Amino acid sequence: MNGLRSWIARRLVLGALQTAAVVLLVFALTEALPGDAAVAFAGDQPDPERIAAVREAMGLDRPAHERLAEWVRGLLHGDFGTSLTSGRPVSGFLADGFGPTLLLAGLTVLLLVPLGVGLGVLAARHEGRFTDRLISSATLGVYAVPEFALGVLLVSVFALRLGWLPPTAVGYGDGLLAHPAALVLPVLVLLARPVCSLARLVRAGMIEALAAPYTAQARRYGLSGTRVRYGHALPNALAPATQQLARTIDWLLCGVIVVEALYVIPGLGTVLMNAVADRDIPVVQGLAVVFGLATVVLNLGADLVTHRLAPRSEVAA
Amino acid sequence: MRRLRRYGPGAAVAALPLGLALAGPYLAGEAPARAASFTLGEGYRLGTDFVGRDVVHQVLLGGRPVVLVALAATLLAYLVALPVGLAGALTHRRWLEELLMRPLDVLLAVPSLLMMLLVAAVFPPGAAGLVLLVAFVSVPDAARIVRAAAAEVASRPAVEALRMQGESWWRLAVGHVGRSIARTLAADAGIRLTGVLYLVATAAFLGIGVAPDASDWAVMVDRNRTGLLIQPWAVVVPALLIIALTMGSNLLVDAAMENRTPPRKGRRP
Repeated sequence: MNGLRSWIARRLVLGALQTAAVVLLVFALTEALPGDAAVAFAGDQPDPERIAAVREAMGLDRPAHERLAEWVRGLLHGDFGTSLTSGRPVSGFLADGFGPTLLLAGLTVLLLVPLGVGLGVLAARHEGRFTDRLISSATLGVYAVPEFALGVLLVSVFALRLGWLPPTAVGYGDGLLAHPAALVLPVLVLLARPVCSLARLVRAGMIEALAAPYTAQARRYGLSGTRVRYGHALPNALAPATQQLARTIDWLLCGVIVVEALYVIPGLGTVLMNAVADRDIPVVQGLAVVFGLATVVLNLGADLVTHRLAPRSEVAA
Repeated sequence: MRRLRRYGPGAAVAALPLGLALAGPYLAGEAPARAASFTLGEGYRLGTDFVGRDVVHQVLLGGRPVVLVALAATLLAYLVALPVGLAGALTHRRWLEELLMRPLDVLLAVPSLLMMLLVAAVFPPGAAGLVLLVAFVSVPDAARIVRAAAAEVASRPAVEALRMQGESWWRLAVGHVGRSIARTLAADAGIRLTGVLYLVATAAFLGIGVAPDASDWAVMVDRNRTGLLIQPWAVVVPALLIIALTMGSNLLVDAAMENRTPPRKGRRP
């Protein structure tokens, strides 16, 4: 018990360190701007008055550590600063983009687990036979394909050629849920890579677990095949997969940015891309902190779940 | 024959995009005269793109940057990851190991594309910058793999014996440990290359490190999307080539890795 507690404590400390590192990194990067944020923002038409105004607004005339302290204090109170382009608070941008992104990511994760685990178990049950070979090569092939290429192809086939689904979510705005047809292609594209990696890991873990002595022993006791498979083998097979699930969060965040750009969904990814294009540094900073925090917290959660599923195995930290 | 069966599918899928990427620029020749944007036919086999350039010509030119940037970035990532990982595994000073490896653990927490976007927002990179950027986000994971593989070898009695004989650190690290982990690293480099291909293409699609009118398959997909309804070839052909490239290279890497693990005999109970 003591070991578990100290492990959790160490893992939490690593999470806190990662959070601090993300915040510092985001601040340091913008600090490294040639000139400063105001000059960068002014871009091709450097208007001295405007540069001075932006400098004033961002407090760039004060030393860096003071600004860092103030920025972090603001973050703790949920104040992310104000946008350079529109003067709106950054938290407003976050609130606007949050809904569509959460909907996309939530739907994807909801479908990801049953699909990935289901395919993995199915392949493992038929190890070496046709079903397994089919699932294994399909998942291996799709695993490395970039979302944008797959997405564009699906659009040209299902939206333009066959006309079954709308090509983009333009015009649906916040009412995405009311137009489920517009969500089919984005979620499908987002699912493609994570499902493949999850299915491959579950398959490998399941094959190993089904061959382990404890499953043989369970069978000798006369337990039913279903119970052995899902009650005993699957939890052990899931431990490495949960770790991968955390890794997929990285992919999901990348994927969300690409998919939102591709299907014109007004989520956080679109806000981020627009801010990067406009060099609206406070908005980029705020979004980077939110994305980074989400990754750290979800990784932490995945590690805790992995530890619960297979306490024997060593997990990071 | 068994070789053909193992590598056949991957090679068949990857052959066309790889061939185009390597030989395309030599076959392309002079650029044909520009025409109206998004036309079909009219002397151009695959029509024209968003600024009226010949799509065939662009396809021939567009594979090279994707493949070259990915190769250079993978190489660069290992140039940094190898010494860091080896030093982390072979040192007996705990603080040095922590100093080398802990920052990488922390960096691993930042999603790679987010990191690239963040840097790109501050310093808009060129092609060389994109290589640096992709290599930078690939280093933490690569260094961890190097360290894990090297630590396993370094704990063997042979290494301890060499150390007691007073062999130099250099001969120990490169001559023995480096040679022993070469196979693991080759496998990992293959996996990393497919990951890097993904990152490079996605970054180019999002406009990081490329000119807006660059001859690059990913940029073609992005820029010609507006004409998808009237001129699908300018988008579908490069998209298919990217899919074939990533899919084929992943199949090839997987086939090559099968070598390393001994085949299991028969079905287990």
